[in-house]
Amino acid sequence: MAEKHKAAPMVDEVSDFEILEAAVRELAIEKGLFTADDHRRFTEFAHSIGPLPAARLVAKAWLNPEFKKLALKDGVKASLEVGIDWLNPTGFGTPSDYTDLRVLEDTPKVKHVVVCTLCSCYPRPILGHSPEWYRTPNYRRRLVRWPRQVLAEFGLQLPADVEIRVEDSNQKCRFMVLPMRPAGTDGWSEEQLASIVTRDCMIGVALPHPDRKQDDKRPIHPAVHPIQHDHGHDHDHGH
Amino acid sequence: MKRSHHAEKSTGKGDPQCFTGEAGPAKFKVGERVRIKNLPDIFYTRCQVYTRGAEGTVAVVTHESPAPEDEAWDNTDKPEWFYIVRFKQKDLWGDYPDAYPNDSVQTEFSERWLEKA
Amino acid sequence: MATTTTTVTEERAMADTNAKNAGAGASRQAPDASPITLLEKIRSRGRAWEDLAVQYGVTNPDPPWKVSMFSTCEALAVHDCLETLDRRASEDDLSETLYRDIPQPERQLMALAHTMIRRGLVDEEELERRMRQVHERLTSA
Repeated sequence: MAEKHKAAPMVDEVSDFEILEAAVRELAIEKGLFTADDHRRFTEFAHSIGPLPAARLVAKAWLNPEFKKLALKDGVKASLEVGIDWLNPTGFGTPSDYTDLRVLEDTPKVKHVVVCTLCSCYPRPILGHSPEWYRTPNYRRRLVRWPRQVLAEFGLQLPADVEIRVEDSNQKCRFMVLPMRPAGTDGWSEEQLASIVTRDCMIGVALPHPDRKQDDKRPIHPAVHPIQHDHGHDHDHGH
Repeated sequence: MKRSHHAEKSTGKGDPQCFTGEAGPAKFKVGERVRIKNLPDIFYTRCQVYTRGAEGTVAVVTHESPAPEDEAWDNTDKPEWFYIVRFKQKDLWGDYPDAYPNDSVQTEFSERWLEKA
Repeated sequence: MATTTTTVTEERAMADTNAKNAGAGASRQAPDASPITLLEKIRSRGRAWEDLAVQYGVTNPDPPWKVSMFSTCEALAVHDCLETLDRRASEDDLSETLYRDIPQPERQLMALAHTMIRRGLVDEEELERRMRQVHERLTSA
C-alpha cells in the first residue's frame, strides 16, 4: 500500500553542501558568534518576506490618489498600510536593512530602474529577497553605464524621449519603482491589480501588463571583466 | 540578543531616523548644482568612483546619518545631511549616445562629498 | 539575456566602467582567493541542488538549506562578526575567480565558508571534523 501511494518527490540524498551549511552554522553558534535563537528569528523573517506587500502598495497607489501622495512622501509610513513595519521587520529590530524607503514614480516621460553598483542593497522588508541576477556584477556594472542595452536584454525597449533614470542605491535609502498603470485594467480590484505588479516591475526592468503575472527566469552571466580589475584600480587609489 | 551600540540606538526608531536632528542645517537645497569632490578613499567609502568630479543637481535632501566613512569605524558622533544627486548620463560618460540626451543616473552622497558647482 | 555579442566599443566602455565604477566600497583588502583544501574536496564531491532537483524530480528552485545560510549571514552581520558589505565584496571576488564554475546558491555558501576560514571565524580542521559529525548524524538511520 505504501508503495502505491505516490508521495511528493523529495531529494533523498544528503549533499556535501547541505552538510557544509549545517557545520558552519553549528560552529558559529558554539563559538558564540550568534545564538540559535538569533538564527531562528532571521529564518522566520526570511520566510515571511516577498514581493506581495510592495505589489499591494503599487495597486493601492493606482487606486487611491491620497495613498499615492503618502507613498511618494513617506514610503515607510505607507508600508504600514500593506502590513510592513520597516522599523520592526523581524520583530526584534532591523537586520541589515535600513529604513528609508523611497518610492520612485514613473511617468510617461520618466522610467526609473534600480541597481546597487556597490553590493546589492534592496528593499527586502517590502520586496523580499533580491533575484540572483540583481546581485551579479554583470547587472550592477552595466546598468549605470548602458541602461538601454541592459533593459533591452530584459525585453524592455523605450522611446528615445523617455528619460531612463537609473537609481544607484548606495546609502541608506532603499528604492522601489511605482510603475504606470497599464491600459486594459479598468475596473480592476486592488487584488487583481496587485497580481500583475511583479518584482521585476518594481525593480524597474519590466512594465506591468494585464496578461503577465510572473517574472521570466533569467540566466546568470558572469561579468565580462572579472572584478580583479577593480582591485587593480583600487590599489592605484590607495585602497 | 547582544547588539552593537549602533543597533541599539536604532531599535524601534529606525536607521537613519535615529540620527534625526543631529546634523544641523543642510548646506544644499533641492535644485542646486553641485560637484562631487574627489576625496581620497581611506579604507572605506560608498562614493562611487564614476561620480568623482562630476556635476549634477540635488534631487532630494534625504536624511541625516553618519557618513559611511565614519560609521564603518563605529564613529556615529557627527551625522551629516545626505543628498540624492541627479546626473545627466552624458556628464558621467562622455561617449553616452547623443540619441538619449535625457537619460540620467541618481545616487546619494553625504554632505562632505559635495561642493557648489 | 541571450548570449551577448560584445562589440569593441562596448568592450572599451565596459573596461571604462570597471575602471571608474564598481568596487569603490568596503574595506577592500582583496580576499585571499587561494584554494582551501577542505572546500576543494567539497567542490569535487558535492552535488549541487540543480542536479539533485533534476534527478529526484523536485521543482523547488532552491535547496532547503539556502534560507538557513541567509540567516547565518544576517546573524554574523548583526553581531559585527562579518559585515554585510565586506562579505558581499569577498563573495563577488570569489564568485568570479575560485568558485566561478559552481552554481548558485552553492557558490555563495562556498564563498561564505571561505571567508569565514580566512578571517579566522572558524578553523578549517574543526570545520572538517564538524562536517564528519553532521554527515554521520544526517545519514544514520
